[in-house]
Parts: sequence; structure tokens; C-alpha cells
Amino acid sequence: MLEGFGSRAATFTADIDHALWINLVLSVVLFLSVIAPMLYFAWKYRESNVKDENIENIIHHTGLEITWTLIPTLMLAVFFWYGYTTMRTLRTMPDAASSITVAVQGKKWSWDYTYAANANGFVHKTNDLFVPVDQNVILEMRAPLNDVIHSFFVPAFRMKEDVVPGRLTKQWFNSTVIGNYDVECAEYCGTRHSYMLSKIHVIDRATYDAWFNSDAKAPAGFEVKMSKGQEVFEGNGCNGCHSVTTDAILVGPSLMGIGEKKDAQYIKDSIVTPDKVIAPGFSAGVMAPFTLSDEDMKALIGYLKDGK
Amino acid sequence: MSKSYFDETHCAFGHPKSTFMQWMLTVDHKRIGIMYAVVMFTFFFVAVAAALTMRFELFAPGQQFIDAHTFNQAFTLHGVIMVFLFIIPGIPAVFGNIVMPLMIGAKDVSFPRLNWFTFWLYIIGCIVALSSLFNFNIADGKLVFNFADTGWTFYAPYSLNTDTNVVTALVAAFILGMASILTGLNFLVTIHRLRAPGMDFFKMPLFVWGIYATAWIQLLATPVVGITLILALLEKYFGIGIFDPSKGGDPVLFQHLFWIYSHPAVYLMILPAFGIMSEIIPAFSRREIFGYHTIALSSASIAGVGYLVWGHHLFTSGMSDTAKTIFSFLTFFVAIPTGVKFYDWVATMYKGKIVLATPMLWALGTMITFAIGGLSGVTIAMIGADIHLQDTYYTIAHFHYAMLGGVVFLFFAGIHYWFPLVFGKMYNETRAKLAFYILFIGFNLLWFPMFIAGYYGMPRRYFDYLPEFQIYHQISFWGAIIFVSGLIFMFYTLIQGIRKGKPCGVNPWNATTLEWHLPSSPPPLENHTKVPYVDFRPYEYYHGQPVVKFDENMKRID
Repeated sequence: MLEGFGSRAATFTADIDHALWINLVLSVVLFLSVIAPMLYFAWKYRESNVKDENIENIIHHTGLEITWTLIPTLMLAVFFWYGYTTMRTLRTMPDAASSITVAVQGKKWSWDYTYAANANGFVHKTNDLFVPVDQNVILEMRAPLNDVIHSFFVPAFRMKEDVVPGRLTKQWFNSTVIGNYDVECAEYCGTRHSYMLSKIHVIDRATYDAWFNSDAKAPAGFEVKMSKGQEVFEGNGCNGCHSVTTDAILVGPSLMGIGEKKDAQYIKDSIVTPDKVIAPGFSAGVMAPFTLSDEDMKALIGYLKDGK
Repeated sequence: MSKSYFDETHCAFGHPKSTFMQWMLTVDHKRIGIMYAVVMFTFFFVAVAAALTMRFELFAPGQQFIDAHTFNQAFTLHGVIMVFLFIIPGIPAVFGNIVMPLMIGAKDVSFPRLNWFTFWLYIIGCIVALSSLFNFNIADGKLVFNFADTGWTFYAPYSLNTDTNVVTALVAAFILGMASILTGLNFLVTIHRLRAPGMDFFKMPLFVWGIYATAWIQLLATPVVGITLILALLEKYFGIGIFDPSKGGDPVLFQHLFWIYSHPAVYLMILPAFGIMSEIIPAFSRREIFGYHTIALSSASIAGVGYLVWGHHLFTSGMSDTAKTIFSFLTFFVAIPTGVKFYDWVATMYKGKIVLATPMLWALGTMITFAIGGLSGVTIAMIGADIHLQDTYYTIAHFHYAMLGGVVFLFFAGIHYWFPLVFGKMYNETRAKLAFYILFIGFNLLWFPMFIAGYYGMPRRYFDYLPEFQIYHQISFWGAIIFVSGLIFMFYTLIQGIRKGKPCGVNPWNATTLEWHLPSSPPPLENHTKVPYVDFRPYEYYHGQPVVKFDENMKRID
């Protein structure tokens, strides 16, 4: 079981589990209403137990037929109602003024989150989502135009919605339990689809506020010591396709030791105009061009050269 | 001894001497059905191999035997073959051809030459479909070989901005669709025009009802593939933005068009399968079927409502909530006639005499697996539940319970039921029953854990997974091993039956419908000696014996 799956982590999780529970119970009833008599008849009227002249050709019974049409229909009406009401809960966005709105971008093959500017005008950009407990959070989800469809799936919360290039889709949640929850991409998006993962960290409000109003990379307790270059590398999702610590080919070529093999200009060109020179054995058109500030570019090249 | 359809045949043109050419050019519905079966089951085993490769890879987290890209290609190959080449043509092409004309007392289908042409159109469609999966690119002066990794759903824009030949794939779907339309048309005309005199619609066997409802879906739903193809061509060659968001198109439109065809296609798979169930249950209960009219009309209503529910595949796609509500509501209306059929079948067993021969075992086993498949489908018709379960292993388990545990299992049931009709011989029943038990156990072990894994959040089409899900993948793996062993054993038993089976006579099951009243076994080229007059119901038994009996000249002797 994924971390936090059983803790009814979001406000609507219990509603959905309740709907699924009702569905399960009624489904078992419906299943047994078919299978139990089937097994019983197969035993009771087994070949060795029935004389030919005792076979009865009953071909019609209005009362029974009405019963087994009406009762399942009523059960289906119950299912529809629970499906509809839980959908309303999941799909009715809370009041934006009292919510935190975070822009989610899904691209091949990473998630990133952009927060609204804080009081100092600083904009947090992260690869894990940090939110305070007991807070309505609205996710405004987009994918780059030249990307593909992804789906933002949080099993612990029981929520999912596709992220479609050229569209804005939304989801919301309010988590009542402090903890870390897995985010998975649920719409097939290519080679690294199963690695398009992220985390939602639900933290206490004081920690969240302290972090949000600062320009720290991550809230207290989540800091990772990282060089500027590594931040750029991972923040842009480069590690989704390129390995720097091993010679494994994830999607694109491994960048281990690239600093010794190629000069800074080559590395820069390969980021800004990836199709200019294609490493042998790889195809053009797979990597999208990236635009980086000079400062970030310098840090990134430094990181690729000496690992710092 | 009289000549059977294996000894002589009519050809589309000419009078070839060689046996091989006689098969290639045959217009005989029985031979064409056999050829479909041979081609389909060859593809079926290729797709099974692809699936088994995936289960080996998924035995443990991380990379085992193949890389992520190869894995994605494997599930694409598996899905495309299973859905488009195997299950959709499936039962109609094989048993619709072989059995349906015999059941209504016809000499052949209405347009035998068209039937021959349709078979070869299907073969061309298969070749184009497989070639669409292979791509060749020239890079650095070298030929780079690539293989589609889009999944069988070909969703835009992924299928548009990878190397995949989505246009070729649509052309293949179009050709296969054309074959499907022509099959449907042929069967519709056959059922309307070639029924034996006296056989009105409510005297037809229920398998014919299944094929009839299916034929309408084939005829009316398939043209959407053509529309999609034209739109894709407009986009690719004229730069008009239709599906590709970078050209101003909408990728969700592709999903709508895809499912407007592919959802009714689900019912064109299952309806003939239900037809097989409706044949087997009365024959092995030795009594008349309960609720003939409701079963017949429920097939028709499933076919009708089936057009209007495609949107339930799009509950998390960004579609409007109003549309979701309507599609969810309509979807439940498919469940009602399906449920009624189940109760009718069970009621047919009441006070009958249940003969647990191999076809009946398959039918009863399918009741269990399809009930689970159907009820789990009802779960994901609930919008709120589907928001959690969409694109997870729950959905995968659901449609394998419905498609494999429903359609394919009933296909197997049909194979065991009509095998003695087609070949005039009987397979070894002890072995065939053993094969059923192996497959049934393997099947449930393979798929049931996926319901649980899916509920806990295991997404589909994942090459690698979080370690929490390992236990479910490992149980599935052992299920897959048992299942594939059972498949091999079942086909071995059937092939041994063709080679060495004992002659079984014209009506080994004591069944009532017309295909069991042929003059000789296997059937002669032009079926019944004379077209019978049908003024009786299809499943009339008295004290466990068929009421209606014919002599070899189709004269009533009861």
C-alpha cells in the first residue's frame, strides 16, 4: 500500500471509499444472485440425479422476470447516484479566494509546480508539491503545446484528471493528514511514463508559511543540499532523460563525463538547439529546445563538467 | 460414404485442381470460417507471447529483461493484435460464417463471392496493420528501424508527434473496418432473405440473434473509422489543425472519435458470445430456454444503447461534467439487459438435466468470470469511482475479465461445442475438461490481483512500479504461467482431436437447432439436403430429447 493510502488523507477520500464500498457490497449481492443458483442447479439437477421424465420446460414467469429486472435497476440507480454525487464533490472547485492555487505543468517526463508570488514577489518553483494541512488547494494543470497528454493521479486522495496540451484542466483537494503522498502519471506518455512521479508533501501551516514567505528552495525538513547547477538540471527535468551518475541510457544519451568529451559551446548548443548535432545512435526531434538564463546555463555547464 | 465440404468446394473463379488453391479461392462459408480461425489464432498466440514477455518483465520492480521502450512496444503489439485482428472479427467471422447459415437452413451466405473477397480484405488489413507498427527512418544515412509504442488506442498527440504511422494504422483500421462492414452486410442480407421457410425472427436460434445485432453495429459504427482517417489525413498532409494542439487542434476530439467506434465494437465482440452461451445452456440442460424473447430483444437493445455510451472512457479527460453525467447514466442502461440475460440462463438450468460436457463447463465458467467483468464495469461507470480507477490496473482487470473471461472464453466454449460439427470428430473430453480447469484457475490468478493493485493505485502501461505493488505482479505472473500452459494444452487437445478423434455422428450433443440435423458429418458442401420447413421453436425438448427430428432428406420423422 502506498504511503498514506489508508489514512483517508483528503476530505473527499472517505466519500469515494464509501461509494466503492457500497458498490462492492451490492456487486457481491448481484454476483451471488446469479452464481449461487447456477452452482446449486448444476449440482441439484446433475445428470445422474435427474430422470428424463422429470425435466420441466419452464419458459416464462412474469413475476420473476419483473423482479430480476427491477431490483438490479434500483441498485444501478444507487450506483449512479453515488457516482454522480462523488463526482460533484471532486469536480466542484472551492472558492479561489480562500484557496492556494498552484500551476502544475506536466511534460515528458516530470512534474513541476509554480506558486503565486509571495509578499516579496518571489515565485517558488518546485518538483514536489508542498501544501499546508487543512487547506483547499486548486491545481491549474497544463502541458506544453508540443507535449502529450498526461494525467495527474494521487492514489491516496482518489483523484485524477488529465493534463492536456492546449487546455487548462483543474483539480482540487484539501488534505487533513500531514504526510507524503505519491503522484503518478496515469495517461501513457512514452518511454519514461512509469518514472513520471512526484510527491505531495502535506506539512503544518507554520512550516509552510515560513517557507512560502522566504526564498528557500524547500520547507524546513525537506532541504536537499544541491549545487545551483544540479538544481537547474533537475528543476528542468533533464534527469528524466539523461543520467549523469551512470552510463545508462534513459532516453537520451548519458551525460557522464560529458565535460571531458565536449566543450561548453557544444553543451550549450545541445540544450538550446538540440537537433543541431545528434549524438550517434539517437534521433532528432525527441528533445525539445530549452531556454535558460545565462546564469543558469553557466551553472548547468559547470555541473556537467565537474559535478558541482 | 458421402462427400463432405473438405472433399469438394465452390471457388470464387475457375476450377483449380490443387487442394491449396481450392482453399485459397473457396467461397464455402464453412471453409472461410476455418481459414479465419487459423489466421486469428496464429495472431492470438503472437499477442499472448507479447503479453507473457510483459509479465516476465514485471515480475520485479526495475529493469529485468527488456527496456522501457521495448515494453511499450510489446503492449502496443499485444493490444493492436488482440483487439483489431482477433476479438473484433472473432466470433462473427468464424462462427457467424460456419454456423449461422446452417442454423437458418441456408446453403451459404447470401453473397458467397463477397464473403471470399472479405476474407482477403481482412488479410490485407492485417498486413497493413502490422506494417503500420514497423517504421523505417533514414538517419545519418542509416536505416533506423522503429516499432510503434503508442498503445492500441493511438491517442493524439502522442501518436502524432512520435515516429508512429498513425495514418497507416488508421488505413488498416479502415480496411479491416471495410471487411467488417461487408461481413455485417452479408450476414444481414443472409438473415433477412435466406431463413428457412416458416422461420420467423422469433423462431431463429439465439446465436443468430446475436449475429444479427452485431451485424447492425458492424454496418453502422464502423464508418466512423473512415471519418477519423480523413481528418487525420487532412491534418497530416494539409496542416489543418484537428487533433494536434500545436496546430490548434484538440487531442480530446481524437478520443471521442476513437471511442465512438471502439465502444460499440465492444458490443460487437460480446453479443455473438452471448449468442453462443444461449445455444449451449439449453442444449446441456436438455430443456427449452427460459425467456427466449427477452434474450433476443436484450441483444438488440444492447446494440442500440451501445452507441450512446462511448463517453464513459473520457471521465478524466477534461470533458464537461454534464457530458460525464449523461454518459454515466446511459451506461447503466447497458447493464440491465445484460443482467436479464444472466438470470434467464440460470433459470434455464432450473429443473433441467445438467450435462457437464466441456462446452457446458466453459459456459458456466464464463458466467462466473463475465459476471465479475460486467460488475466491475459497473463500478467504473460510477463517475466518482472512475476518477480514481480510470487508467489503473482495475480497468485492465475489468476489461480482461470481460473480453478474455467473457468473449474469448465463450469463443472457446463455441469451439468445443461446434468442433464435432466442423470436423465430424470428437476431441478427448477428459483432457479438454482438464484444460478448462487449468485455464480457469490460471485466469483468475492472473487477473484478480489486478483489481486490488488498481484500487491501491497501480497505473496501467507502467514498465516499472513502486515496490508496494510487487506482490500483485508476482501472483499475476504465476497465474500467467498456468494460463499459458492451459492454452497450449487446450490447443494440443483440439489438434489431436482433428488428427485422431473418433467420428461422432451428426448430433453428438443431442441438440435441437438445425445445424445438428445435417445429412452427414462433417457437413456436405451445400449443407442440408433440402431446406426444411420450420414451424417449431429452436430449443424444443420433451423429456430431455429433441422434439423435432429429421431423416437425411430433411423430412420430419418425429
